[in-house]
Formats: sequence, structure tokens, C-alpha cells
Amino acid sequence: MDPTQAPGVYEGAANVIAAVMLLIEFGLLRQSLARDQIRLYMAQSALISVLAIVIAADRNLPDLYALAALSAALKVVAVPLVMRRLLGRTDPIEGEEAPGVAGSQTLSPASAVLAGIVLAAIGFFCFGALKIHGPAAPALALALAAAMVLVSFGLMIVRRDVASQAIGFFTLENAISLAALVVASGLPLILETAFLFDLLVAVVVFGMLIRAAHGRSESLSTADLTRLRG
Amino acid sequence: MSAALPIPLIQLLQVLTVAVGAPGVTGVIAKVEARLQGRRGPRIPQPYYDLAKLFRKEALAPEGASWFFLAAPLVAVAAYLTIPLLIPVLTTYGLPLGYMGDILGGGFLLSLASFVVATAALETGSPYAQLGSSRAKTFSAITEPVVLFVVFTVALLTGTDLPYALAATVRSSAGQIIRPAHLLAAAALFMVILHETGRIPVETHTGTNEFGMIEEARSFEHSGPYLALLKWASELKQLILFTILADVFLAPWGLASTQRLDAVILAIVALLAKACAVGCVVAVIDDSFAKLRLFKITEYVSAAFLIAVLGVFTLYLGGG
Repeated sequence: MDPTQAPGVYEGAANVIAAVMLLIEFGLLRQSLARDQIRLYMAQSALISVLAIVIAADRNLPDLYALAALSAALKVVAVPLVMRRLLGRTDPIEGEEAPGVAGSQTLSPASAVLAGIVLAAIGFFCFGALKIHGPAAPALALALAAAMVLVSFGLMIVRRDVASQAIGFFTLENAISLAALVVASGLPLILETAFLFDLLVAVVVFGMLIRAAHGRSESLSTADLTRLRG
Repeated sequence: MSAALPIPLIQLLQVLTVAVGAPGVTGVIAKVEARLQGRRGPRIPQPYYDLAKLFRKEALAPEGASWFFLAAPLVAVAAYLTIPLLIPVLTTYGLPLGYMGDILGGGFLLSLASFVVATAALETGSPYAQLGSSRAKTFSAITEPVVLFVVFTVALLTGTDLPYALAATVRSSAGQIIRPAHLLAAAALFMVILHETGRIPVETHTGTNEFGMIEEARSFEHSGPYLALLKWASELKQLILFTILADVFLAPWGLASTQRLDAVILAIVALLAKACAVGCVVAVIDDSFAKLRLFKITEYVSAAFLIAVLGVFTLYLGGG
């Protein structure tokens, strides 16, 4: 496609939302406080609901409005609430920072962002090479979703604390929802909802992991788990 | 009433608008900033009074400083006064000298000006001036890639690297405004502008603590008219960068499309209003964030770099 040709306003808006979601993913790489990470996750989840509304208005798919509302209720309200309660219960220990936070980076934020750019580029251009085109699939938003998947993997890798890894996993789900929205926005509502509830399973698993990690070693760092290697 | 102005006069007006308006924009920003902090703040024309006072004072140069020390402020101001010829300040159509240089040409002039000021600071032997110039060069070296990627985005969007072409592209349709490449490039440019004008995430604009200074420290040893020229130069730089942001990227409306007198006057007013609007945003940022530690500035710049790179990426798959 000729880059000097602008896409339509709706497609442009969808692409901008996808790009901002990717930027938030990078913000998570930099952010060192668990509560700020949760705040960023809320912003990202709110954006995906906005995107659902934009697509619903553009393609005339009324059931996407329901999906947007459901996704907002779950990801903007419920999941952050649960995460906050889980982290609130793990009280900070004397002489240590608040739970699940600063110091868990294995790379400096600037290097993490540069590594993230490389990851994003790989995801981006690999998906671009697949040439998935069609009236319902803006190639750009799809490629941005692929970049987000890889960057959220990167986030889970460079962080040592369970809280950041959980947030990384939840944003991975956001990335996949983004891809699903742009590729298969006409998917029946019941299926979309089923995928959404997969997230709840993840929340339960990570909740158990956070509590187990904290109960065993009084820390959320997974670095303590390396000693368990056989 | 609305007679057609000759083209050379409009070209001269572009330079004059920037030259005369720049201290005023600084005054407005200082006023807004003070009001946001609950202070009354200086009068808006205060920067003009400052310049007038400094121009009347005696000039001193440190012992051992060569002619370069005194020539640098003149070169810097000359460079900054050349840039308004290259960018759309008042008109939508390119003026004859407007094609003398592209965006990179403007970038070269900006770096020439900052290079001579930094070198003059090295001449003085004063540790704070040298520290400021060394820091300024270090950080401008890492913001350079960001600017380059912004230029790449412009080049991909328009097929040229002329500021006039991008402004025309942005004006052409709503789809051009909302596309991610354009918004990301504008955001990255804005972050670079905050860095280049010495605003808060990078540097305290009004601080008196030498250890936190970057750009501000470079003019420590200049005095009298030379200091006035340097102050004026930094105000010019600020207005030029705001003009590039507003007239090329964000809001290239209100420019004169004809040579009529009323259109040109309207364009002058619109330009100053847009610059003050950008200045208000800058003042709000100034008042709501803390200055970054010196070694955290790389993180700020890496964020700007990320945004600029994403802007270029999005163009490669089309639809960006």
C-alpha cells in the first residue's frame, strides 16, 4: 500500500488505539510500582473496550457493544480489584519495599525498552509478511497486536516478581483480544465471552501463585524459586 | 484595504514575526506558569524589558577567551533567524527561499547554533559553563536519532522532506490527522521539543542550581549585549520549535493562502496564538511533573525514540 495514502478515519482510529495499547505495554516495561502497573493495565483494558465500540459503530455489529461493556466490567474493574486485594494482603516486610515492585528488573528500563523495540519489530514485520488482508482486518492493528504479544512475553521475562508477570500475562490476553477484534469481529458473542472468562482462570492461578510465593518465601520474587531446580 | 503584499515582504514578515514574537511567547509561558503556581508572576512583556536592559549593559569577556567567544551569540541568532525562511510560518504556499533547505537543513542550522554556543562555553574555562555544554552535547547526541525518525516519518508520509509538503498533507483530510504515524511522530517531536527548550522533565527552566543545569549553564560567562543575544536566541529557538510543531504537525490551519494583507495579519495572530497554546501545555507539564535525575534522561529519550520508531513501523504495512 502506498504510505502517502491515508486510511479512513475509522481505520485510523482503530490503528491509533492499537498503537497506544502497544505504548502502554512499553510503559509497563518501565513502570516499577505494582499499583502503577495495575493502573496502566486498567488504561489498556479501557482502550480495548473503546476499540470494540469503534468497530461496532463502524461495521454495525451491535453485539460488540455488549462485549465492550462486559470486557470493561471485567478488566477495568474486577481484575484490578482482585489484584489490588491480593497485593494488599501480602504485607510489606520491614526494610523492604512495597510488595512486588522496584528492583525486580533484570535490565535497566532504557535497555528493556530498546530490547522491547526489537521484539516489537520482529512481531510486527513477521505478521506483516503474512499478508492477512481483507476489509475486516486492518493489517496494521493486527501487526501491532502481534508486537504486543511479544513485548508482553518480554515483560514477563525481564521481571522477577510474580505481580509483574501476572500483569504481563493479562496484557498478553489484551493483545490477543485486540487481534481477535480486528480479525474476527463478527465472532459470535458467546465465543468472545468464553475467551474473556479464560482470563478469570488466569487470575485465579496467578492469585494462588502470588499467595504461595509470598507464603513460602515472604517475597514475590521468582528468583527464590531457582534454588528448587533438581 | 486588503492589498496584495509583495512576496519578499511576506518572507521578511516571517522572520520579523518570529524575531519580535519570541520574547512575548516566553513571557506568556512564564505568566501562565506563575498563575498555576498561585503566584502573580512577571508581566508578560518582562522578557522584552530584560533584553532591553541587557543590551544597555557593558560586555565583559573572560581573560584568554578568543574572538569566537564573542562571535558565537551572533552566529547563533543568525542561524535561528534563518530557519523561519525554511518553514511555513505565515503562508501555506512555499516562499522563494523556502526551498533553500528541507527539514534536515533546518536541523543543521539548529545544531550549528547549539554547537557554536557550546564551543563558546568551552572557551571560558568556567567549570559550570563547560559542564552545561558537555551535558547539552551528550543529550543532544541521543535525541538526534529521535529527530531523524520523525523526519523519516515525514518523508514516508509525503514522499518529500519539505515542511510545506507535510503541512499540506495534514490539511488535506481528516484521515491524515488521525493516522497513527502522524500522531506518533508529533508526540515524539513534542518530547524532543521539551528536551530542546530545557523544560521540566529534563531541566528546570528557572532554576538557580548549577548542578541541575544543562542548556541554561552555557551562557554563564557571557554578559551585556552578548548575554542578551543568547537569551533572545533561546527564545527564538523555542518559538521556532513551537512553530514547527503547530504549523507543520498539529494544526497547520490559519495560515495565509493568498498574499492579501488581512490574510497575512490573521496568520501572524494565529501563529502567536498557537504558540501560546503550545506554551500553556508546556507550562502545565512544567508545573505537574518533577525534574528527572540526570541519568534518567536517557529513559525519557528512549521513550521518545520508541514513539518515533513505532511511527515509522506503522507506515510500512500501509494504513499507518
